[in-house]
This record gives sequence, C-alpha cells and structure tokens, in this order.
Amino acid sequence: MTAYGQPDLGGDRRVLREFSLPSEPGNERRVAREVEAAVESLGLSGQRMERLKTAVAEATMNAMEHGNGYSPEVPVVVEVLASGQDLSVRITDRGGSPMPVPDPEVPDLSAKLEGLQTPRGWGLFLIRNMVDEMNITGDREHHTVELIMHLEEGPKGGEDAG
Amino acid sequence: MPAKYLEAEVRREAGVAVIELRGEIDGFAEEALAAAYEEAEAGNPETVLLDFEGVDYINSTGIALIVGLLAKARASKKRLVACNLSDHYVEIFNITRLSDFMGVYPNRESALEEAVVTDGNA
Repeated sequence: MTAYGQPDLGGDRRVLREFSLPSEPGNERRVAREVEAAVESLGLSGQRMERLKTAVAEATMNAMEHGNGYSPEVPVVVEVLASGQDLSVRITDRGGSPMPVPDPEVPDLSAKLEGLQTPRGWGLFLIRNMVDEMNITGDREHHTVELIMHLEEGPKGGEDAG
Repeated sequence: MPAKYLEAEVRREAGVAVIELRGEIDGFAEEALAAAYEEAEAGNPETVLLDFEGVDYINSTGIALIVGLLAKARASKKRLVACNLSDHYVEIFNITRLSDFMGVYPNRESALEEAVVTDGNA
C-alpha cells in the first residue's frame, strides 16, 4: 500500500488482512470482528482480544466520524499486520479534520459529573488504555491510527492488569 | 451482523428500580436509556440498578451516556449501581473511574442485597 507518512512497516511484518468499509455508524463493530478473525491464530488471551477489539472499534469510529464525516462513500481503510513480536492494526481515514491528538490528561470524571466538562471525550483515552502502543501519523489528506499489541505479553499483558 | 439496538425494561424489586438492558450501549441507545431512567425515577426509588446482563457492547459514547445518568442520579440524591458487567467492561468501569462513583456488583442478587441493607440504614 502506498505510504503517506506512515511509520516504517518493519522488515519482518506480514500483512494478515487489508480491507475497507464505508463510513457508516455501526461499521466499527464490523471492523472489530474482521480484525478479531484476522488475528485469531496469534494467541492473544481473551482479555487482550477484548481490549484490542474495543480499541479498534473506537479508532474506527473516530476515523469515520472526524476523518470522513460519516460519508458512506468515503471508506475507512484497515490493515492488520504481524511480526514475531507484535501485531499492528492501522486505521486510515481521509483526514477531514485536524489530526487527533491524544490528551495526556485522564478525563476528569468528577468534573463531568459536576457538569464542568462534557460527558463525552473518552475515545482516545480508552484506546490508549486498551493497547500497548498507539501511534498517530498523517498528512493533509490522511490520518492513520496504529494500534500495537505486543505478542509477548508486556506491562499490560497480565490477565489482571488494568 | 446488524446492530442490536438497546432495549430497556424497568422492574421494581425490593424497593429498587432495576433497568434491564439488552443490546448495545452506543449513540443509538440514548433515547431508550433516557426513557428507561425517567420511568425508573418516577417511583422515587433510593437506588436505580442498571443490569447489564444482556449487553454485549458499550462504546465511548455509551460510557458518556452512563456518565450522564450518573450525574442525574447524583443531582437527585439517588444511588446508581450496576451489575452483570462482563470482566472487560468492569475493567473499563475501573479505568474510567465510573466504579469509584457507582457500585459495581457481579450479579443482581448481590446488588439488591447491598441496596436493601444500605437503604435500610439510610
């Protein structure tokens, strides 16, 4: 696939699946299911698979909503890659809004409950907490969110890790 | 697989308003969730229990809807509690800190038991 400011693929990564779907509400779950099927043989624990699916669904929703403005004719492109050490899911939109920038701060639930902040704003926070690494790259035409899970379980890999 | 829109049904058990949830809690769930909460509050219970047994998907918009219900409950001095979340969503309630503000119980029986004890002491 043509690179447009994407991170280096890495020499030993192989493409497990590449597909695109229209930007329509609800398609984030289809993407999560496709990714689940693509990585089934990699041996993720049930808990880490659930985390990956949540991160994929959230990143896809962001891409469809903020990147593509929920225009069905504008697809979200998904690549699933794996090496011996990690798996990577890259979700690319057409970049219709400024590059999403993860807020380094944890959303303040107390402030949300007091009405001082909007109840929304959990998407990037959830993604960041569900996967081992998240990279955001792009240019004026595309944004790509890359979600990485280490296959040799790291700090978030334990079944009881939070 | 088509989206499973949220269905919500209100029951009353041991003085607690139980909202039984089935389907997906996402942006499409707003109306059903708001209507069920309004019905639950109508009986002026001290505790409203969200039973997630039939829920297989909650996204960030769904989390925001639950935050909204929690804010409403706190404003009217009611307790909002949850039960039957899967392990994955218990984790999400923990990392979002929802579980710091609302009791999370493994099943309906334990939630009702605790509610009866707490309401009895209120």
